[in-house]
Amino acid sequence: MNEQLRLTIDDREITAQANQTILEVARENEIPIPTLCFLEGLSGAGSCRLCLVEVRGVPRFLSSCVTRVSEGMNVTTDSPKLASYRRMILELLLAERNHICAFCVSSGNCELQDLAQELGVTHVNYPYRFPSYDVDASHERFVYDPNRCVMCTRCARACGEVEGAHTWDVMGRGVHSFMITDLNQAWGDSSTCTSCGKCVQACPTGALAEKGRSTGEMKRSAGFLSKLSSMRNCGR
Amino acid sequence: MKIRDFDALNDIRETGLNKLLRGGPRIGVGMGTCGIGNGAQDVYEAIKTAMDTKGVEARIVPVGCFGYCAAEPLVNVYIPGGPLVILAHVIPDDAPYIVEEIVAGRIPVRKALCRIDAWDHLTGHVTYGHGFQEIPHWDEIPFFRGQKKIVLRNCGLINPEDIEEYIAVGGYFALCNAFQKPSRDEVIDEVQKSKLRGRGGAGYPAGMKWALLQKAVADRKYIICNADEGDPGAYMNRNEIESDPHMLLEGMLIGAYATGAAEGIVYLRAEYPLAVERLEKAAAAAREAGLLGSDILGTPFAFDFRLVEGAGAFVCGEETAMIASLEGRAGRPRPRPPFPAESGLWGKPTNINNVETWCNIPVIIACGGSSFAEIGTSNSTGTKVFSLVGKIKNTGLVEMPLGSALKDIVYGIGEGSPTGKRIKAVQTGGPSGGCIPAMHFDTPVDYESLGTLGAIMGSGGMVVMDEDNCMVDVARYFLEFTHSESCGKCVPCRMGLDESVRLLEKICNGDAEASDVEKLEELMPMIRSMSLCGLGQTAPNPVVTTLRYFRDEYEEHIRTRRCRAGVCEKLYMSPCENSCPLNMRIPAYLQLLKEDRIEEAAEIVWLDNPLPASTGRICQHPCENRCRRADEDAPVNMREVHRYIADSAFAGDLIVRVRERLLENKIPPTGRRAAVVGSGPAGLTAAFYLTMLGHDVTVFEEREEAGGMLRYALPEYRLPKRILNEEIGVLEHIGVRFMYRQSLGAGLALDSLTGEYDAVFLATGTWNETQGGITGENAPDVWHAIAFLEQVARSHRPVIGGNVVVIGGGNAAIDSARTAMRVGAKVTVAYRRERSDMPAITEEIEAAEMEGAEFVFLASPQRVVINEKGRVTGIELRRTRLGDFDASGRRTPVSTAEFFTLPCDAVIMAVGEKPDPDPLRQAGIHVRDNQTAAVHPNTGETNLRGVYAGGDLVSGASNVSSAMATGKAAAHAIDRSLTGKDNMDLVLKTFSFRNIVPAEPEGGDRNVSPVLGVGERRDSFDEVVLGFDAETALQESRRCLRCDVKEQCADREGALKEPVS
Repeated sequence: MNEQLRLTIDDREITAQANQTILEVARENEIPIPTLCFLEGLSGAGSCRLCLVEVRGVPRFLSSCVTRVSEGMNVTTDSPKLASYRRMILELLLAERNHICAFCVSSGNCELQDLAQELGVTHVNYPYRFPSYDVDASHERFVYDPNRCVMCTRCARACGEVEGAHTWDVMGRGVHSFMITDLNQAWGDSSTCTSCGKCVQACPTGALAEKGRSTGEMKRSAGFLSKLSSMRNCGR
Repeated sequence: MKIRDFDALNDIRETGLNKLLRGGPRIGVGMGTCGIGNGAQDVYEAIKTAMDTKGVEARIVPVGCFGYCAAEPLVNVYIPGGPLVILAHVIPDDAPYIVEEIVAGRIPVRKALCRIDAWDHLTGHVTYGHGFQEIPHWDEIPFFRGQKKIVLRNCGLINPEDIEEYIAVGGYFALCNAFQKPSRDEVIDEVQKSKLRGRGGAGYPAGMKWALLQKAVADRKYIICNADEGDPGAYMNRNEIESDPHMLLEGMLIGAYATGAAEGIVYLRAEYPLAVERLEKAAAAAREAGLLGSDILGTPFAFDFRLVEGAGAFVCGEETAMIASLEGRAGRPRPRPPFPAESGLWGKPTNINNVETWCNIPVIIACGGSSFAEIGTSNSTGTKVFSLVGKIKNTGLVEMPLGSALKDIVYGIGEGSPTGKRIKAVQTGGPSGGCIPAMHFDTPVDYESLGTLGAIMGSGGMVVMDEDNCMVDVARYFLEFTHSESCGKCVPCRMGLDESVRLLEKICNGDAEASDVEKLEELMPMIRSMSLCGLGQTAPNPVVTTLRYFRDEYEEHIRTRRCRAGVCEKLYMSPCENSCPLNMRIPAYLQLLKEDRIEEAAEIVWLDNPLPASTGRICQHPCENRCRRADEDAPVNMREVHRYIADSAFAGDLIVRVRERLLENKIPPTGRRAAVVGSGPAGLTAAFYLTMLGHDVTVFEEREEAGGMLRYALPEYRLPKRILNEEIGVLEHIGVRFMYRQSLGAGLALDSLTGEYDAVFLATGTWNETQGGITGENAPDVWHAIAFLEQVARSHRPVIGGNVVVIGGGNAAIDSARTAMRVGAKVTVAYRRERSDMPAITEEIEAAEMEGAEFVFLASPQRVVINEKGRVTGIELRRTRLGDFDASGRRTPVSTAEFFTLPCDAVIMAVGEKPDPDPLRQAGIHVRDNQTAAVHPNTGETNLRGVYAGGDLVSGASNVSSAMATGKAAAHAIDRSLTGKDNMDLVLKTFSFRNIVPAEPEGGDRNVSPVLGVGERRDSFDEVVLGFDAETALQESRRCLRCDVKEQCADREGALKEPVS
């Protein structure tokens, strides 16, 4: 199963194992591929579309987070087209809800912010939607601010796949899709939430935070999720 | 009773054939959802009642739909021995007649559409009988001609709820056949040989998918039928299941047998209750017959079947979303890999095919894969069912061999537009497809060709669009659809479509700028390449194709804030105003006339159209083609009303006050000078507006008087020159100067004009005749239409006599014919196409006919017959027949071997006019291949700065209002360039009047102008159409429905009041 194979990523010859994804191999070899919905230890959602790469001979871009490597594969992780499309995706995300770093608990520790800087998003060419969603502060330890949410569903996957509580899920569809707890009940009233906080650690932005944090104070680390999931042999 | 073997199946076949063919007359009522919606249930009951009353021993059964939606309800009648006859447009009141005829052993011919002598069910063959030759055979009807019914093989012919009838026509024999093959591989081989491609839209080879599933190793495998048909305008899968559910079951049984799947699931949308019901019934019957379950047909093969009703999310048509939905989760796609063939439903290997793909399988097994592959093209084999809907005469389900040309479907099967409007595009493949413009209608319909055009085959929806469809609005509509159906999982689709919809809404509302189209063009490829599933990846297609083929419409929406189709509400006043090339504010002058404010009515008429009396007589009135009153009874006769207003101005001293009003509204002198070369309608219009805009205008005219074609080509009986003189008088009054006998190139040099004037507008028209290219064309008695008309206009003397043949079908031909008759000739008009294809104004053709002109159609000139004295004695014509459809949807005349000669003394060639390119070329102006001047499409400016051109010189021979519109547009552009301001709105002024829509249509029937008696017209150039009197004009104005009033509120008492603006 775990046979060795050779492939090329960005003109580098690389040896990998057959069950690895392009993203895993690239990261092992310190080749950066931007991701947002990906989180080690969780299943691949393939929804942010930032990790798409070019593979020679394949007419479409492939999501590197779910596509397994194969012998002789020739991958390009960055191209002018990919860079511009990734910037457009980030711009659209920034326009979708209220990502105002100056007032965000996660500023300085936010994956969206980091990506915008890395990919050179200097302007947002689309009108800001400025929705005004109610903040759910009903939980005794955590707070959910949908205005900062990017719908990556990392919280839902951490909750369902690692904790097994299935408190978080997506409601609605299209631009109206929305993260909810239980059946769209207040988080504090949730009968399924174990208050484990994995969702908060998994969140890439300031949508989920610990109570009592002020601007820039919300630091998080989700590295334990992958260890937990390998221990439980789930998610893979 | 379980069917255990082949013999048992054969016995049932006999029982079924008895039902179909033996045991007395049989009536089948087309009762698909479509038929029932058209009243088939009532027809069924009525026929039943009529039979009961008469005590008739005939059988009546529900059948599916035969596909011809436009002719529903359809009923088929079979009297043993005779053919099966399909009756169309049957209503319950027809029931007694139908039953009486059948009792008498006759076919109810009054309702008959077509007959079927024998039918190849492809898995079986049925001979009905012969006779009733007076009823056309089914494939002689335009709608069916060229169709090949494979998937629809049984639809509308058998009772879908009777398994015995399905078996009678060869059903389930293909399954037997599959069982009898030495191995399962050979079943898959046949499918691979057939080269059948997925009919859901993407076109992946079905045999390859089957082979993948067969190879997959698992304890359980699934096959799924995708019947989640959700494209707007597509309903073939619904009909296939409703009309012939067993063919789907049989196809899936064969698939399951070949691939080793133990369970089949049909994911069918819940919005198709009849399909659900019939498929459930079919499955129950099959189960009872031992065709589902275990030990099928006495073999160890077992197969379970399950129907799952989809809740209607469009995205569930995507295979991974469908699997999620089947597993009880929300219908959202997941990234692939893994592909369903390795890990699908419940993590097991799964194969998903569309309804139509499954339905093809029994035929492939019965007839062999290679014979199936002979149908269609080499890469796209077989047939495809299309739902032909929209602006098309014959709507319905059409099954065509792949590779058929789009034009044969649209113009042949569909017979073109039901209203005679120009068909603009076909949208194939629904919201994931693209708009194919009419110029590409000769494209063969196969997977690759459609893809090249930016469209897709999709599930087979074909929506025909005409000039009343705004292509920007079409793109907006489809994008709104995919936007609201997007699951929201991935960002490109969720937010990309949201942003795109907003941009398109901006364009449709007239709020957009050119950069918004650029943004749209940036977003589309991103959404296409970055989206997670097929929904997002194909959603840009409608936008991309409309941008590619109809970019001018986007630009119009943005630059001129106009929607030429009259769909985007904020971008036009009313359909009439919008279709008028001059954008005359028609509802305004009609309303002002109604309010007894004729002076203002005349003012607005003049401001919008400086030649209202001339155009009131000769305009081709596109306004009437769009008038919504036509849906009620007949269009408002708007042209005659503005003629009345203009004529009344000239009749009294009203014109004095109109002239004063015009002068009051003139912009103060700008000190800029403009020269107009040519005084035809385009030149006069440009001169009028440039003067109104404050510029000093001089018109240079080659001839001795102004008016161009209006004076020298338009016959006096259509446009009295007295009227034209009065109109030119108004122009002179407001300050236009005229210089006569000034000919460009000869004496008048363009560079001296550009030196002396700030801007020059060239409108020298099309005075050169197109040559017919036939021998004898230069004989002395062969006239070219314009030269002939000019000669008569100048002299009013007969220059022609005896028998005259006019060649052509345009207005110049008809004018020549009527003029020749007035100078004493006997006239025959010869035209190479059909009467309905003639470009001349219909009223004019009718008038010519009344005045005694003869018409010969489908004849093209070959040579002029000349005697030894050099005089014309006749013209030899070649009979044409109608061939393929051309880009305009008309059939191209094709020469035949038949020749004939019309004896005559003179010939008038009216085959077209073109400009004289030499003076333009000498002046350094770019001339296009067709000899017309090349100008910037937005401004009318030529390659020389400050030199503009318009009218026929640019468009080629056109019509008066279009020519005037170019003059108006050029004046606007010249003024903007000279002043840097936009003063046109000031000149056009705003008028206020009552904005109340009558509760009921008022004004009664359409009024037409009285005309001079035919007897009085001969030998006389007196005007034929006499015009309205005051009362009739008022009456006609009342008929306006006031489409310009877009909102109206009612006060507390319910009375309508004007909206507060």
